[in-house]
Amino acid sequence: MELTRNVTLGVYLPEKTWVHQLDPRSKIIFAVILITLIFFIDTYTAYAWFALFILGIQRISRVPLSFVLTGLRPMIPVLVIIWIFQFFFYEAADASTLVSFWVIEGTDAGLRMGNLIILRVLMLYLVITTLTLTTTLVNLTHGMEILIAPLRRVGVPSQELAMVMVIALRFVPTFAEELEKIIKAQMARGVAFDRGNFLRRAVSIFGAFLPLFVNAYKRGEELIVAMEARNYSGGRGRTRMKTLKMCRLDLAGAIVMLAFSLLLLILINLIPPPY
Amino acid sequence: MQIEVKNLDKSFGEGTPFEKQVLFQVNLKIEGGEFVGIIGPTRAGKTTLAQHFNALYVPRVGKVLVDGIDTADPKANLAQLRHKVGYVFQNPEHQLFKETVGEDVSFGPQKQGCSREEVEMRVQEALQLVGLDYHALYRRDIFALSGGQKRRVAIAGILACHPQVLVLDDITAGLDPLGRENILEVISRLHQQKKITIVLITHSMDDVARLADRTVVMDQGRVVMDGPTGEIFLRAGELKQLGLEIPQVTEILYKLHREGFQVSLDSLDLEEAVESIAGELQKTGVKDTWS
Repeated sequence: MELTRNVTLGVYLPEKTWVHQLDPRSKIIFAVILITLIFFIDTYTAYAWFALFILGIQRISRVPLSFVLTGLRPMIPVLVIIWIFQFFFYEAADASTLVSFWVIEGTDAGLRMGNLIILRVLMLYLVITTLTLTTTLVNLTHGMEILIAPLRRVGVPSQELAMVMVIALRFVPTFAEELEKIIKAQMARGVAFDRGNFLRRAVSIFGAFLPLFVNAYKRGEELIVAMEARNYSGGRGRTRMKTLKMCRLDLAGAIVMLAFSLLLLILINLIPPPY
Repeated sequence: MQIEVKNLDKSFGEGTPFEKQVLFQVNLKIEGGEFVGIIGPTRAGKTTLAQHFNALYVPRVGKVLVDGIDTADPKANLAQLRHKVGYVFQNPEHQLFKETVGEDVSFGPQKQGCSREEVEMRVQEALQLVGLDYHALYRRDIFALSGGQKRRVAIAGILACHPQVLVLDDITAGLDPLGRENILEVISRLHQQKKITIVLITHSMDDVARLADRTVVMDQGRVVMDGPTGEIFLRAGELKQLGLEIPQVTEILYKLHREGFQVSLDSLDLEEAVESIAGELQKTGVKDTWS
């Protein structure tokens, strides 16, 4: 039983590559551009190019693909369920039936939709892991804070939001660890998490979530006390030891991103769906 | 019931950039009815090794046989095995996952499919064994208990499963001297009266010296010493090199020995040591200045 092995969110891989050295602000902007692109793509070819690009970036940043993929494992059942629903229940005017059981029919349009959604989730996951695995939490928040700072004028509490984001990300591995402990404690007293079919396992896991939530509340309280003890009073007026600076590398990154986005958009328009 | 570990290796985070091997070629055999202490500095792999005993970790390299059952066998009934080998965790806060004492202690027997009366009986018996008042505590909120009480409830929760082997992971850490004394007494009683095999994982040499018949010393994922407790503590120099404290009694005997007194170095019992020292004093003719 080793849950923490499957956690890739909120983890940082210390390396000294170009991607790591990029300014966090540029990295966040690039990630947002890539995520926006994902929602424009609707052909397999375009997805192939996109995957190639993002995997190339991961290669440069020395993020091991096997590690990224282990983080996907817990998501597989959910993805399968989404795919099944799309395949059988997606309705389109000109869809032709591929398989049918009783009253439900799997159509070619549904198949395409299911595949595209899975690809979309996969690409989203790849983009986000590339960002978080190559950026320290401190930098990530700092960048985020600066980027959403203009929204403060219209009443958005930007610093607080950034803080919330950091806490959320930071605690993903911690909660995985905690869940592992609870699961072990229940296993030690006879709950078989590691045996039985999918449904039975799902029910067992549910029994571990309640104590996890209780612990989360306690942890939240501890965190509040720790922050109060250090005089945290919202981030307003706080200065930093290390300030962020854009450099030539960021310009190069921006050019690459722009070129890729343009190419991809042209590609999408050249080759009409379904391929 | 016997636990046998053969050539066990264990790594964490296999296939990730954080992969780290924590156990190297561990061999160990624990017979039924033994009282074994496992000591070693932090990060020696004590907990990881012990969590193989009840199949919380299943070996990939090497073998773990519990009562003749290979834990890596996909057909093995691990739930049943885990009831035979009870495991009390390092931190009782993580082990107690129900709201009240009664609910928590009855969790194990309920999972075993015991009838209501049987569960009730076992909960009573378990709480009594660890010296807690059933009627006063049954409905008590877990969060309202003291540290020492929580540990006792944690032990009771495992005892209610009727284990044949009890693995206790650093259960005296962070307790005041009285709480510690009480817990150790409970364990000693369980071993003597119920004939339960005990595996005590700890940093405290004094606890091991007092209770364990056999001591296993671990360091950096390896078993470095294994033998009768008295013999292990004779190797005081080596233990100190590992960063372990030798029991206070042994420490004093060693100091006297170095000064030329012929005291027996292997007495772990306080009374025995006092007698040995007193005998030596009489022989050498040192007068008791206070009498």
